[in-house]
Amino acid sequence: MKSTVLIGLGNLLMSDEGVGVHVVHALLNSGRLPADVVALDLGPGGLTVLHAMTGFARAIFIDCAFMNLPAGEWRQFQPEAARTVKVRGRQSLHEGDLMEILDLATGLNRLPNEVVIFGIQPASVEPGERLTAALQNKMGEYQTAILQEVGSA
Amino acid sequence: MSKTVDIHVHHVTRVEGHGNIRVRATDGVIEKLEWQVPEAPRFFEAMVRGRKYEDIQTVVSRICGICSVTHSLAAIKAIENAMDIPISTQTDRLRILTHYGEQLESHILHVGYLVTPDLLGQKSVVPLVGSHPDVVNVVIDLHRLGNLMMEKLAGRKTHPVRLVPGGFAMLPTAHDLRQLKGELVAAVPKLEALAEVVANLAGGVPHFSRETEFVALVNAPTYPFYHGDVGTTDSDEIVSVLDFENVVNEYVVAHSTAKWSKWHRDSYMVGALARFNLNADYLAPLAKKTASALGLEQGCCNPYMNSVAQVVESVQVVERSIELIDEILTAGIEYQRPEAIIQAGCGAAAVEAPRGILFHRYEFDENGICVRANISIPTNQNHANIQKDFEEMVPQIIDQDQDHIRQQMEMLVRAYDPCISCSTHYLDVEFV
Repeated sequence: MKSTVLIGLGNLLMSDEGVGVHVVHALLNSGRLPADVVALDLGPGGLTVLHAMTGFARAIFIDCAFMNLPAGEWRQFQPEAARTVKVRGRQSLHEGDLMEILDLATGLNRLPNEVVIFGIQPASVEPGERLTAALQNKMGEYQTAILQEVGSA
Repeated sequence: MSKTVDIHVHHVTRVEGHGNIRVRATDGVIEKLEWQVPEAPRFFEAMVRGRKYEDIQTVVSRICGICSVTHSLAAIKAIENAMDIPISTQTDRLRILTHYGEQLESHILHVGYLVTPDLLGQKSVVPLVGSHPDVVNVVIDLHRLGNLMMEKLAGRKTHPVRLVPGGFAMLPTAHDLRQLKGELVAAVPKLEALAEVVANLAGGVPHFSRETEFVALVNAPTYPFYHGDVGTTDSDEIVSVLDFENVVNEYVVAHSTAKWSKWHRDSYMVGALARFNLNADYLAPLAKKTASALGLEQGCCNPYMNSVAQVVESVQVVERSIELIDEILTAGIEYQRPEAIIQAGCGAAAVEAPRGILFHRYEFDENGICVRANISIPTNQNHANIQKDFEEMVPQIIDQDQDHIRQQMEMLVRAYDPCISCSTHYLDVEFV
């Protein structure tokens, strides 16, 4: 049984919004993830996050996060250390909020024992298929931090 | 003092895509009553022109994230029809199994996440986590199972990659199928629990009924989702899917960017209730029992019961999936290379999407390049019926509180499980 699920979230068509997905693919391509880690590209996420966490003791999320930090900076935190202030349009099933999904999981007793979020401050979430330079230049740093967290660095 | 009703729901929530409700009435006299679809056209039929036959299903699956398997299968069947590409019994069984996964995923999404909050007086599924956690957990488990079926069989839960003309680009293993069977067997008591919840909430389903023409696939060996011809509750007439344009009779109206449809009357309804009304005799035993427990009977003309019919169909696809897996495993999974001899031709096909019958037609030149495409989406076929339901129902409730009228109308739209973004079509209209 694999114990950790590593989930990259984001929309690849909205520049830095897709950073979580970019990082997960980079880690998968690196071949450096430990054997007990399942890495998933969940795209915009939503309720499929609940499905993906099922049966794992630990979930690690990588997502774009507005945290009032300089673009490209990242923070590692647990869900209880932050609260969502996101205002959603509520007109699309594609629009999700990880913090809300984690709240749901808590209420339903479906949250893994350990949850860690790697939030990465974007420079732009406007339409675009590439990361901005501020984030692209730090891709190595993000991967190293996550590999440390999963015990492979 | 005069009473004015002025409802303008700008984008109904808990449906996919954008649809508006507009009502204006003074002293019970209705001056305006419209179901409006303001989505932009998406040009998929134009996008596939000039593309090779083997790319079509990949493009058109993007019409919808919820029924991408259905769009892929309709395209593939139409391509196979156009080029006389044979398929094996194994392919047929595996496709049906994949399609069942999508029916389950979509129906549970609709009933569990979008409709149940209405019946429990909540605005979304989120408050139900506190009040009904067991129900939400069942819904999540069943939704996950539908996704898992598509992942194991089609390679992805959305926008399948293994479904191709002639067969499968990659086959599931016997281990995959045994794992799915185990999960399906475990899902049966969860479905029974969900059906019980819905039965307890049935009192909240509005009592509205209007004589309606129902249209769905018929003439298949089992409850039809994937095979069959087109049938109607209005007559014994059965139309070949190759002549589907004679059924859908598409037309345009000023207040909608989507095309509307009509056949024997001004409108008709497609979807789970239509399938049930035409094919209930073919339901598997537990699905039949569930229908009976939920009070769903053939001939039901209450569109709100479409969601109840979706619960019955969820049971049906789980029951049939277990049987199908046994049939596939007993026969043994054999490697089969999908093959096609490219030739010019025109073909059409129909597959039942979760929200109703879906038609695809393609024409190819001698190099297998698509030169023409025509797609008729279930939600388009339902738009006129939603409007006709509004016209019958709203005068009956126009004296009630405006919020109540609005809620009943929103619930009616949601009962159709519309996928409005799919339903927009190649059109160019101007609102007046």
